[in-house]
Amino acid sequence: MARFHSLDVIDVRRETRDAVVVTLKPRAEDAEAFDFTQGQYLTFRRDFEGEELRRSYSICAGKDEGCLKVGIKRVPGGAFSTWANENLAPGDTLEAMPPMGRFHVPLDSAAERHYLGFAGGSGITPLLSIIKTTLAREPKSRFTLVYANRQISSIMFREELEDLKNLYLNRLSVLHILDAEAQEIDLFTGQIDADKMTGLFTHWIDAKSVDTAFICGPEPMMLTIAASLRDHGLTDAQIKFELFASSQPGRTARKIETVKAACESAGVQATVTLDGATRTFTMPRQGQSLLEAALAAHMDAPYSCKAGVCSTCRAKVLEGETEMAVNHALEDYEVRAGYVLSCQCYPLSDRVVVSYDA
Amino acid sequence: MSDTMNIDDYLASGGVLTSPDNVPARYRGELMRLMSSFVDSELAASAGFAASINFAPGIRERIAASRITLEKADHAERVLNVMGAFGTDIARYQSQHDWAARLARDADLGTARREGDMRLSVFHYPINSWTDAVVMNVLMGLATDVQMTELTRISYGPLAEVFREIAPREAAHAELGLEGLKAILETENGRRDAEEALAYWMPRVAATFGVSGSGRHETLARFGLRHSTNATLLARWQALLADWLAPLGLARAAT
Repeated sequence: MARFHSLDVIDVRRETRDAVVVTLKPRAEDAEAFDFTQGQYLTFRRDFEGEELRRSYSICAGKDEGCLKVGIKRVPGGAFSTWANENLAPGDTLEAMPPMGRFHVPLDSAAERHYLGFAGGSGITPLLSIIKTTLAREPKSRFTLVYANRQISSIMFREELEDLKNLYLNRLSVLHILDAEAQEIDLFTGQIDADKMTGLFTHWIDAKSVDTAFICGPEPMMLTIAASLRDHGLTDAQIKFELFASSQPGRTARKIETVKAACESAGVQATVTLDGATRTFTMPRQGQSLLEAALAAHMDAPYSCKAGVCSTCRAKVLEGETEMAVNHALEDYEVRAGYVLSCQCYPLSDRVVVSYDA
Repeated sequence: MSDTMNIDDYLASGGVLTSPDNVPARYRGELMRLMSSFVDSELAASAGFAASINFAPGIRERIAASRITLEKADHAERVLNVMGAFGTDIARYQSQHDWAARLARDADLGTARREGDMRLSVFHYPINSWTDAVVMNVLMGLATDVQMTELTRISYGPLAEVFREIAPREAAHAELGLEGLKAILETENGRRDAEEALAYWMPRVAATFGVSGSGRHETLARFGLRHSTNATLLARWQALLADWLAPLGLARAAT
């Protein structure tokens, strides 16, 4: 299982009013583990008032910059991004797992390809890494970036992109689409929808010349763009996706019901939610796992190894107390948040409420 | 543009998820189960095929069987690595079962999985000769080809990519099987044995497509984890099989 390592914060630079770029340095012994591929992300963890939060942010540095940088945009109500924007400073350390993600294609210095990138807002971070690395390492390839933002002032890496355009004069073109600001060309104003995509393909981008397209942004944008790319002849294998962090599930406070001393009476009342449907049944106090009880009650609960290894049967205990016989798959923070492997989970209280949907 | 949408609606509209962080709980369960079934089947297939290497009549066949054994284990590992990102203990997982274990040749398993691991039921039956191995590999190879048309467009992006890497190599396994089958059919005895093996494996491989009208399909389809129904895939396999076997004079045996 991937482990967390300490990274030194070297620099925190304000990029826009609500985004910072953080430069990080791994310890010498971790340098190899943090040798990233362009387009990958780092998962950070930090304790907020006793609760561990994990958040993933894409690396925005190119492979040849010799450093590790992530862009962190503040999301309303987001504990981690707010903290990073307001409090993080050089000299601090951050805990992160080694880079992960498959938002990249193998590079070939002899290749002569045309890449097309679509970024929405902070979705630019992995694309910036990809653009810088690709243009440096594939000297004959070119890149077209379509970059959607609300307004000019919220554009992350605007200057850096301008510099890159000057550095790679005929190989990088950037089309800014601004939602809330009128531009000279109508096509570049408003949201990216199917018509705008068709307009782009008619006037600005030759779909047939595109080898690979990268999309990183919020869900509706990903759907619209992917559908249009397919309509214009790209195959699924040519379209690379990175859904950005907005979809990370929010945290919910765990309701804890104090356990009465378990009387050795008959059964335990189990309430289990699966696919939005909730059922209550009685299960034996001993000898049957929560998963087995749910299956015996004809619920189609997910499972695979039944040995506490694979985590397919993960569920959340909402009320009551349980214990796990074996746990090789859940991490401490998940257990603290109330998650259990239902194949290994036995009730301790007279009543348990469990959800596979949480 | 910056507005987000409900993740279920996103999936139902054909959206792609890209990391364990943005996967909803129930989706996670179904995805894990699907990966687990694939990993267990590949490991069991590899382990089963390992014994067939010694059935091989010549060096070329021995190399082909070795390659299939190797690559199926490699495919299992690639998918298991995706499971690892979700918390699966990879090292423990692979030593969890005896992947070479088989039941009796005449056991009647239907589509049911056995207690223990999630391999497809067909991988519980033992292979008993070179011809048996080749025929099983042709039938299962084509079944995998058909399943790959689903798996390569699965809504979990990192897994779809792994399947896109795997698909051509799995297709090559079926091709190797076809070559082997042609050689076997050169003799009368060979043809008779092949027909016998076909009769044995046909219903068992057909059962890997699952029951028709499965209640789970709707959930899986809503999540973008499945697109076609079991019945559609089974029909596609039968058609593909007919295309392959008819030129070999085996059309009748394959019905």
